[in-house]
Amino acid sequence: MKFLLSLAIPVLLAAPASFGEDVSAREAARFLDQATWGPTPASIAEFQQMGMTAWLNAQFALNTSDIPDQPILNAAGQANNNVAPVQAAFFQNTLTGQDQLRQRVAFILSQIWVVSALNAYAYPPYWRIFRDNAFGNYRDVIKALTLSPAMGRYLNMANNNKGNPAKGTAANENYGRELMQLFTLGLTQLNPDGSPVLDANSNPVPTYNQAEVTNMAKVLTGWTYATAPGAKAQTNNPIYYFGQMHAVEAEHDETAKAVFGGVTIPAGQTAENDLESLLDALMAQPTMAPFVCQQLIEHLVTSNPSPAYLQRVSQVFENDGTGTVGNLQAVITAILTDEEARAGDGAQSAITANFGHLREPILMMANLLRGLNAITAATNNVAANASNLSENLFEASSVFSYFSPLFRTEHGLLGPEFQIYSTQTASSRADTINTLVYGTMTGVKLNLAPFVAVAGNTTNLLNYISGVFLHSSMSPALETAMTDAVNAASTPTAKAQAALYVALTSSEYQIIQ
Amino acid sequence: MLTRRGLIRVGSAAVGSLALRPFGLLPALAQSGPDYRALVCVFLFGGNDSNNTVIPIDPANFQAYTSIRGSLALSASELTAPITSASGQPVAFHGKLPEVASLFSSKELAVVANVGPLVQPLTQSQYQNQLAGIPLNLFSHSDQQTAWQTSIAQGNSATGWAGRAADYIASQNINSSNFPPFFSVAGNVLEGTGVNTQPVALGPGQSLTLAGFSASAASQARMNALTSLLTTGSGVSLVQAADDTMANSLSDASALTAALAKGTPLKTKFPATTIGEQLQQVAEIIQVQSYLGMRRQIFFCSLGGFDTHAGELEAHNSLYPELSPALAAFYDATQELGMAQNVTTFTESDFNRTFQPTTTDGSDHAWGGHHLVLGGAVQGGQIVGAFPTFELGGPNDTDVRGRWIPTTSIDQYGATLCSWFGIPGSALATVFPNLGNFPTSNLGFLG
Repeated sequence: MKFLLSLAIPVLLAAPASFGEDVSAREAARFLDQATWGPTPASIAEFQQMGMTAWLNAQFALNTSDIPDQPILNAAGQANNNVAPVQAAFFQNTLTGQDQLRQRVAFILSQIWVVSALNAYAYPPYWRIFRDNAFGNYRDVIKALTLSPAMGRYLNMANNNKGNPAKGTAANENYGRELMQLFTLGLTQLNPDGSPVLDANSNPVPTYNQAEVTNMAKVLTGWTYATAPGAKAQTNNPIYYFGQMHAVEAEHDETAKAVFGGVTIPAGQTAENDLESLLDALMAQPTMAPFVCQQLIEHLVTSNPSPAYLQRVSQVFENDGTGTVGNLQAVITAILTDEEARAGDGAQSAITANFGHLREPILMMANLLRGLNAITAATNNVAANASNLSENLFEASSVFSYFSPLFRTEHGLLGPEFQIYSTQTASSRADTINTLVYGTMTGVKLNLAPFVAVAGNTTNLLNYISGVFLHSSMSPALETAMTDAVNAASTPTAKAQAALYVALTSSEYQIIQ
Repeated sequence: MLTRRGLIRVGSAAVGSLALRPFGLLPALAQSGPDYRALVCVFLFGGNDSNNTVIPIDPANFQAYTSIRGSLALSASELTAPITSASGQPVAFHGKLPEVASLFSSKELAVVANVGPLVQPLTQSQYQNQLAGIPLNLFSHSDQQTAWQTSIAQGNSATGWAGRAADYIASQNINSSNFPPFFSVAGNVLEGTGVNTQPVALGPGQSLTLAGFSASAASQARMNALTSLLTTGSGVSLVQAADDTMANSLSDASALTAALAKGTPLKTKFPATTIGEQLQQVAEIIQVQSYLGMRRQIFFCSLGGFDTHAGELEAHNSLYPELSPALAAFYDATQELGMAQNVTTFTESDFNRTFQPTTTDGSDHAWGGHHLVLGGAVQGGQIVGAFPTFELGGPNDTDVRGRWIPTTSIDQYGATLCSWFGIPGSALATVFPNLGNFPTSNLGFLG
């Protein structure tokens, strides 16, 4: 490998892979670009040494990162809406946390189960649900989020009392609808390979109708926030983002409710029993596996998985081998180790034309900072930069997240991240890279010395950059472009900067292949 | 600089031949003042409860409104003073929309009542018995935003209606440059994507010009390296897609930089809000339209936060004071530019909301709603179409919660806007494929 021959860092010349797996630097970097916040020389070497199976098992065991709880009130005694420390802690974890895969999966789950526009102290407990269940069971994710006060606030399940005929009110449909549409089932029934289930007239079969949404609202009535310490318990407690919501049976609609899939939640059950019935019914819907797995694949590997790839992963969601439905650890393993994800590990030419996905801004920022050896201060501009690229961490513009899993590019391919890749943000991405490579980002200290150290030899410089950022594979066009830019620069620092700028602004880097 | 935009320009007619292009198809009004027209969409994301935007306040309607809306019902003191519409209907606007009400009074703003996505005219019986074409995935935010933006309610359209209108403008070489006819100040939107048209997106306070370049040889070499990659062609589809967007960005940057340098600061003061700054940006682009070679432009702005399942009154009390003065400032700016007759602003939103309130003092997803059209060419002061019957389970309801079946389609609303804009009848069927299903293609509120 060119990369190995040009290495300036001894750690990468460590012993060959163990456990019978002969892992190239390309294979390692490519896998790590899918499964972590970005490969580094050290993480590439570690992966080469461990091999894929051992690396995955080690990652499944790690749970090391946290986002600290935030004060309920700010120094002025008012609601604390300063989410910057939460965002900074998140990015700090991406740089230094050992539990890289857990963090990635947690972030993906948070992009499915979106909350936004809450007090800052709502976010750490909400994020820990994803962290702690990233390799758990999807049923537990559904239950924990359903009872999360953050979600209860955002989609109004908290204090959603049963309809009051005297007042002419009906139960709020917000959470009941989005629980189905966005978090578990989607709008159209899917086969395991993601194709729509068709009726006798070849029309797609909807997952539910409006009457069933209205009934879902009734199923989910009768929950309120935990009672804050020192406060008096009420039927409708005020907002409190710690703990779980609890049932208030007097405000639960106990009538029988016909919901999706021909399921009827029987009359006379408590709020808690209705929720358990609902969770069982959701997990039994065959459309959940392709609906959830498609999104996980889009975020980790490729926007356009083949039907066969999705079907293989869906089958693992339906049965992890022990008869369990919804085992996320098994699903993540299936996604990352699938032949379609791994095709191309050997040679770039094995990658099919529609493979890969655009780095979303948060992923790009983390990847750049890791690859450029960044150290961040407690207060920094990293999240602000991602926000400027239309991805404001924990502050999505709606429950439809930063971008839609259904968004298509101009050529008709799925390209979710392209929803926030416009003429404006394309330009702003290049400007962000300019700031990092040539300027200073507030609160961020980079170390370009390893790049400058090899810049005296253009081949070595290009191979080193390719090893860190391009899975040791540059197109001839990119190699020529970088070479031209390097040749026009005078000092080793200027050469390293020019090569980095051209590589990192290239679509070849921006699309994770 | 790259001219990716050149690839999508249809035809190679020289600028000198533009005078021969079919401008005779445009209404006569285009001949007075500058030959320029702009449509400006203000999309209210989340689904604006327009049942509380404008209210018919004759005693029977107001009584039904007050009784059914309960905790959401605005009292007389929470409404603007009554205004009598052109047809004699007394109405009032939400009290936090005083500028909107004033523009309605001065006949510069019209209300189009109960408009929404339809495949064809739809009776309550046809809807409830599923006997006719029904929009795909009603009551879903994403699908109904798409329905509004594509005007193809049965779904699965890869292009937006404004994008298809922009395709027509490009196909006729009506604009004299490759700069895209659709300009979003609120990010990528399907509304402006055509078969051949890709929108330009640039928000307030942003620039498309790449930072960090100088005239030095090293800098120029680096720029050449960057641009050379955009036209290399890649075997990977998404790399190509990203390259196309970046190439468009660079092409648009040069055109915009040159044009905006010709602008002068507007005297009109815009509110320092998201929507205020977006509309100010639109006004600044309109000011330099001739330098961009634009005769027809469509703009897209947005304001979010209208998904008011709970706490709706508070939400409206903070959102409407952003919307109303921003719309008024924008109208003032078009007057300052001498363009009031040439610019028409209109609202869109995911859907209206249930007339019946929720237990959380909000309302749920519904369907047909009331929309605002503003501009010097608007036949203002009128309610176009009719308010629904305020009755749960009544003749306009889909079920029993007050989700109104629209009585006017987006196709009709959009075609009225586009006819004024200069899309001839022969092209309207391409822009609005369902238009022929409806009895009239022009609602008569423009021109």
